[in-house]
Amino acid sequence: MRVNRRSFIRDASLAAAGNAAGLRPFGALNSLAQGAADYKALVCVFLFGGNDSNNTLVPFDTTGYANYEAVRGPLALPQTGTGGLIQLAQAPNFSLNPNLPDIAKLFDSKVAALVTNVGTLIAPTTKAQYQAGGILPTNLFSHPDQQLEWQNASQSAATSTGWAGRIADTLTTSYNPGGQVPMITSVAGDTLFCNGAASTPVSVSPGNLGGAACGEGATECAAQQATAQALLQFDSGLSLVQADNTITSNAYNYAKVLTAATSSVPALQTVFPANNALASQLKQIAQIIQVRAALGVSRQIFFAGIGNFDTHSDELSLQGQLLASISPALAAFYQATQELNVSNNVTTFTMSDFSRTFQPNSNTGTDHAWGAHHIVLGGAVKGGQMYGTFPTLKLAGPDDSGTNGRWVPTTGSVQYAATLAQWFGVTSSQLSAIFPNIGSFPTTNLGFV
Amino acid sequence: MIAGCPESTKLCVDFDLVWRRAVGLFCLSLAGLVGGCSGGSSGSAPTVPTAPTAGPAVTISGASQARLGSVVQLTATVSNTSNTAVSWQVNGVAGGSSAAGTISAAGLYTPPIAIPSPNTVTITAVTQATPVASASMVESIMNPLPVVTSGSATPGLSATSFNLDLVGTGFLATSQLQVAGSTVSSMFVSSTELRATITLAVNTAAVAVVVTNPDPGGSVSASVQVTVAKTSLTAAARLLDQATFGPTPTDIEHVQQVGLSGYLSEQFAVPTTLLPNITTPPPTICATNLLPCEQSEWWQTVLTGQDQLRQRVAFALSEIFVVSTNSVNSRAVTTYHNTLANDAFVNFYTIMQDVTLSPAMGAYLNMLNSNKPGTVNGVAQIANENYARELMQLFTTGIYMLNPDGTLQLDGNGKPIEVYTEAQVQAFARAFTGWTYAPAAGVTSKFTNPANNTAPMVGIESAHDMTSKILLNGTSMPSGQSTSQDLSGALTNLFNHPNVGPFICKQLIQHLVASNPSVAYVARVSAVFANDGAGKRGNMRAVITAILSDADARAGDTSPNFDGGHLREPMLYMTNVMRGLGFANKDVAAGNDVVANASYNTVGNYTSPLGEKPYSSGSVFNFFPPNYVIPGTTMNAPEFAQENTASAVLRLTLANTLVYNGVSGFTVDLSKASALGITASKTGVAATDAGNLVDSLAVIFMHGQMPLQMRTAIVNHVATLTDPAQRVRVATYLVITSSFFKVEH
Repeated sequence: MRVNRRSFIRDASLAAAGNAAGLRPFGALNSLAQGAADYKALVCVFLFGGNDSNNTLVPFDTTGYANYEAVRGPLALPQTGTGGLIQLAQAPNFSLNPNLPDIAKLFDSKVAALVTNVGTLIAPTTKAQYQAGGILPTNLFSHPDQQLEWQNASQSAATSTGWAGRIADTLTTSYNPGGQVPMITSVAGDTLFCNGAASTPVSVSPGNLGGAACGEGATECAAQQATAQALLQFDSGLSLVQADNTITSNAYNYAKVLTAATSSVPALQTVFPANNALASQLKQIAQIIQVRAALGVSRQIFFAGIGNFDTHSDELSLQGQLLASISPALAAFYQATQELNVSNNVTTFTMSDFSRTFQPNSNTGTDHAWGAHHIVLGGAVKGGQMYGTFPTLKLAGPDDSGTNGRWVPTTGSVQYAATLAQWFGVTSSQLSAIFPNIGSFPTTNLGFV
Repeated sequence: MIAGCPESTKLCVDFDLVWRRAVGLFCLSLAGLVGGCSGGSSGSAPTVPTAPTAGPAVTISGASQARLGSVVQLTATVSNTSNTAVSWQVNGVAGGSSAAGTISAAGLYTPPIAIPSPNTVTITAVTQATPVASASMVESIMNPLPVVTSGSATPGLSATSFNLDLVGTGFLATSQLQVAGSTVSSMFVSSTELRATITLAVNTAAVAVVVTNPDPGGSVSASVQVTVAKTSLTAAARLLDQATFGPTPTDIEHVQQVGLSGYLSEQFAVPTTLLPNITTPPPTICATNLLPCEQSEWWQTVLTGQDQLRQRVAFALSEIFVVSTNSVNSRAVTTYHNTLANDAFVNFYTIMQDVTLSPAMGAYLNMLNSNKPGTVNGVAQIANENYARELMQLFTTGIYMLNPDGTLQLDGNGKPIEVYTEAQVQAFARAFTGWTYAPAAGVTSKFTNPANNTAPMVGIESAHDMTSKILLNGTSMPSGQSTSQDLSGALTNLFNHPNVGPFICKQLIQHLVASNPSVAYVARVSAVFANDGAGKRGNMRAVITAILSDADARAGDTSPNFDGGHLREPMLYMTNVMRGLGFANKDVAAGNDVVANASYNTVGNYTSPLGEKPYSSGSVFNFFPPNYVIPGTTMNAPEFAQENTASAVLRLTLANTLVYNGVSGFTVDLSKASALGITASKTGVAATDAGNLVDSLAVIFMHGQMPLQMRTAIVNHVATLTDPAQRVRVATYLVITSSFFKVEH
């Protein structure tokens, strides 16, 4: 088996479907100035490990909170006082985790929305259908499978493309014909989300946008790099060597493009929180958005993410620290989009493996569950509102798939993704190719953006 | 396409040349000393008195023949005066000359490097007393006596071609080599080393070797029997790439001598290099954070330990049974590593049991202090499912039913079949309740005990769920069982599940040999897992032997185009380059103190930007998943999950750091005087030097299998440089940044 040489557009004939002009992966620099009006970006923030939604968005009305507190016991966040929940002015019966003050402000200023009880689904599924073993996503409650299914829009985990990658397959030709880099940029490594049938992302290490260090003199560095790149062109006849040749060749090319594009732009004024991994990633994304014209792109999708949400023990402390890093990072990023005058052009959203059991385990932690609440942020977002259906927080209740508080989702992650995709530019006629299951759902657009 | 034979033949020669050079110089100086004591013939030489009868007189005594490489002590005897000092001349020049040989004030004559023409010199002693008197003698300069002290014959690139390498003293460019009575052309490396490519019948066990030096002073060495090694350089280096943290020239030569199975037998017998427990209070470098001590111990062990195969297997196991210092105490992780290393060649059940009870895994996946389901302060709680789920999903069975060859079993609808249900996860979770840290000595155990990071966990029956459990295959565990009974029942149930062999063996193959093993390869190894030939299931030594000896693992030894291998993950990339180039630790203060050696602790800083440090995975899913498929292909290649356009650039930067001797606390010699540097400037002919240098690197990093096209490109590039040290740096950089090296195959 041999791997074909591929650029970030691996197969022009596939990507060019619907566009006879084909593709120019490394075409001439797009000289057309691109105003903000031509530009849209989606920014995915993946919370690896399964963020506990039950302690992210909490009922605040008296009855709702009392019910929450009774089941959550040692994991219940206090309603008031130090470390108390933050009541949402725009949704007073609900509150956010005390470590999300910036998100609460953004929600109340109507640039952030909450989408509730979203999860992987093949089709709308009731509790009864779940318990009868209906048509279900594969390997619910398994981290890798559910991460992949969120990223590929509820296909089987074996599906080899993510929904952002499929969007890039579909839209690159029409929106980024002179793009110097792929439509998708990951600042958190390779993930299925970013891979299409014909598209691969550019990966960037936050803060390391440029090329590799070289200790020789300038002349020899250039010569050495030329030879190193030439070695990557040889056909070794070995599949994995060829695959790595392709990745490394792309790495040289993208580093050159990104270095050139960012070499003479003013530094962002927005201050991002220090020692905050997500903030570093989002800052890097903002810097790339800043040079979008030089990169020749009018549509971009970014992938960011942090881990450690798998809070099987000591959850209050561990989740609290994580949310406390997300809150100011997202706020700074939104501010940076304002500084760049693209706040209405950039929509940021969260994804995560799954939520966690409403019932605690014996280590003051929680175990793997299903439907979860998610945050959407940006000037285009119809914020200050909750979308979807908030679950009944009752063990063995109408939304519990079993007895431990694993909510059967009432909104499909594919609907969530399709809503974002349509804002981004995917037309209704393109929708089913990118989201094969979307036709099983009554609505393809949740209306939050 | 891979280069043809001629280049590879030369590779072996140059490889040995480079790495023997240091030894050669050492031998040369020794030979000088020894020769001085034993060389030359005895007896007095005729002397010619020239002094007047009443004044001082002088005579010279000493050997009249001097052999190259040996010294001769001459003595001047002065009479008729109290001042017996003399001045020495060779051919009339005070103190002598490089062409005629030199003589010290004490009369020690050192012959020139080459035989002068004619091969005689006149040595004169002149009195310092007056009137001046002098005496002269004629010294004949002879070739040295050749002595062969040892030799090796290792396979070349055809079945009858072997590389002969002789070490001894007194060798000359004009020495003649006879192998089994026939004269063969030889290559002069130094006065202590000769080389030849020889032809031997298949299965020749040993050959007699004789070296003859020509006149003047011609002589024949004693005959020496040289053992013929069976293993090719490529086969030896490839095995080492699979079984160790990186081939070294010394190890390659050793494996060539002892053979592949001989090497494995040796390695199975090497005792574990145990990471020392981190003391209390801890050493200075980890006084406030134990992590540097754990890191230091790990790096030193994998870079320098003699138990390379054991450590390499333990490394593979550590990427299957993942724990992370991100949330686990470093003392516990140090202990955990020793557990994996000790169990690496034992039985898979032992590994399962020891991992399950380790405080590191207990803390990481929350089996530690997992209480039975119940109501606490009015709130109902469930048994922690974390360890139960991942023990099945990641450590033993995987999610789907497998065939013995690792392929998926499918149901009537063509769908994979899940191994376990959520209810079974919960049953195992309950089976694993009631375990806590081992109590301190003399302290009564309770639920829960305070931290003990070095001893296995203990069961507390009052915290254990004693209801019955339905395990895999519907196996029922009765109610009323103890913590230990449930533990052993649950582990036995999993150990005997037919998935374990293919699930674990395929991953071990992926870590050691190839990302995409054939189904037949997986089937062959998992059959050994099921039965080691003596009826035993889970015999790890047998499994490791099967993996490394399999025809698919060895195919690349003789077929350079055999498609396989795997990307070197960042930590293995680091160790491969450091071992291959001979990075030396220079932490003099800490010396061999494995815990306190701060330099080893920082090695991980160089792999960390690429996503890896020892025992620091972001989750139990390891740095990369075993089923990762390279985007746009159908190729399963786990390590590629970390290879993208960002990490590829960072790896280039790491390569630059390595060739610029930039690893803190370590030093690597790539100077003109280094082994590679000598090769890079040996002939003074740029193209030849570059070729020799690249061939040497190809041996170290590419099993002597560098493709011809790559060799040509690197040679042409390096030949444009004049500084030997820069040649070494740049050539090394080009080799180690190539995908052909990054992918071990």
